[in-house]
Amino acid sequence: MHTLELTVNGQGHKVEVGLKTTLLEVLRDKLHITSPKVGCNTGDCGTCSVLLDGVLVRSCITNALSVQGKSVTTLEGIIEPGDIHPLQKAFHENYGSQCGFCTPGMILASKALLDANPSPTRDEVKEALSGNLCRCTGYVKIIDSVLAAADEMKS
Amino acid sequence: MAEGEFFRAASPQEAAGLLAQHGGSARVLAGGTDLMVAVNKRMFKPQVIIYLGDAGMSGISQEGDALLIGAATPLSVIQASPLVADKTPLLAAAIKQMASPAIRNAGTIGGNLANASPAADTATPLLALGASLKLVGAKGEREVPLAEFFTGPGQSVLGADEIIAQVKVPAQPAEAKWAYRKVGKRKAQSLSVVSVAVYCSISGGQVSGAAIALGAVAPTPLLAQDAAGLLQGKTLDEATIAAAAKAAAEATSPIDDARGTAWYRKRASEAVVKQLLTELAG
Repeated sequence: MHTLELTVNGQGHKVEVGLKTTLLEVLRDKLHITSPKVGCNTGDCGTCSVLLDGVLVRSCITNALSVQGKSVTTLEGIIEPGDIHPLQKAFHENYGSQCGFCTPGMILASKALLDANPSPTRDEVKEALSGNLCRCTGYVKIIDSVLAAADEMKS
Repeated sequence: MAEGEFFRAASPQEAAGLLAQHGGSARVLAGGTDLMVAVNKRMFKPQVIIYLGDAGMSGISQEGDALLIGAATPLSVIQASPLVADKTPLLAAAIKQMASPAIRNAGTIGGNLANASPAADTATPLLALGASLKLVGAKGEREVPLAEFFTGPGQSVLGADEIIAQVKVPAQPAEAKWAYRKVGKRKAQSLSVVSVAVYCSISGGQVSGAAIALGAVAPTPLLAQDAAGLLQGKTLDEATIAAAAKAAAEATSPIDDARGTAWYRKRASEAVVKQLLTELAG
């Protein structure tokens, strides 16, 4: 086993991992942070998305040892516990979430977009979410939610 | 040893030395977007991993008339680079259509080429632009034109102790014309069924240099040299374009797979080459 040190949502952790351990397994199975979901496990669906040093990645195909010393943000870390992030509020108010399985990944992909581009067009939102699959909503409500959050965060 | 060894190479030379030392049991890891998919699918169990993320192999710079792109540079960094947009816009346009944002944030240009997929989407623009690769091995380094790199599906001239360290891309002259199109089953997160990059220099109304590259329609990404030769010294009129498109399709040797049939791929190759050359003529 190898020792991995990383920061998750501002807190330092030290865990033992193997050569084929993924970041997703570290988050869910070792640290019990369960917003990133196990979907396809091949990088296609986006429900395991997290921010790695602020950059959107797939935790299911990120080798755990490659994140040594890095900082990971999951949905749990985008706002203080008890508070609600404008993206969460907008998904709630605009029916951007149905079964909810894709929602953590959707919100992190949206956050990565809005951090870089606070006033995206509808097409830019579509492009930013192009790697996140939702089988419930048909995407319209998700895109509406992101645009609503962008408006809220600007005002 | 049951859990294997994980090395963080500090340089491409160190990575090559580790590869030589550990032989066939070692695999290099950069973004992981191919390797970890194979691990998760239990297609193989890694015994030794050599990580390239700390090997100083990421970054884009200019040297004379060429761009030097570190092999471990993430695709999204290349896509967003003002230098790439200015000097090799064909490459930027192709990368923009690859996979999805999160995959482009992790996947690297060197990984896309080293895995030698016939459908590698950086290969078509890079072939059209005349790119070359710097390969670093345990016993030294060499430069290989990309046109001589691929030898078959998943196969290349890369030696057992070699890695791709850098991609050298000649800058596009400002007057050069180019076009790119990827045909997939959908817009995002899609493997190419056919991809085509065309690149032309036109002076005095006549083609003074041309390249046509096709992906996913042969055992390797393909440079259709006969087709490009038909354009040389000609004006891009309807008959010239039709002849070149036909020759490009004849150069393909596609297969049937889950994404498309050989029949479709051959016809789509001809149609897309025709479409892109017509765009350049317009």
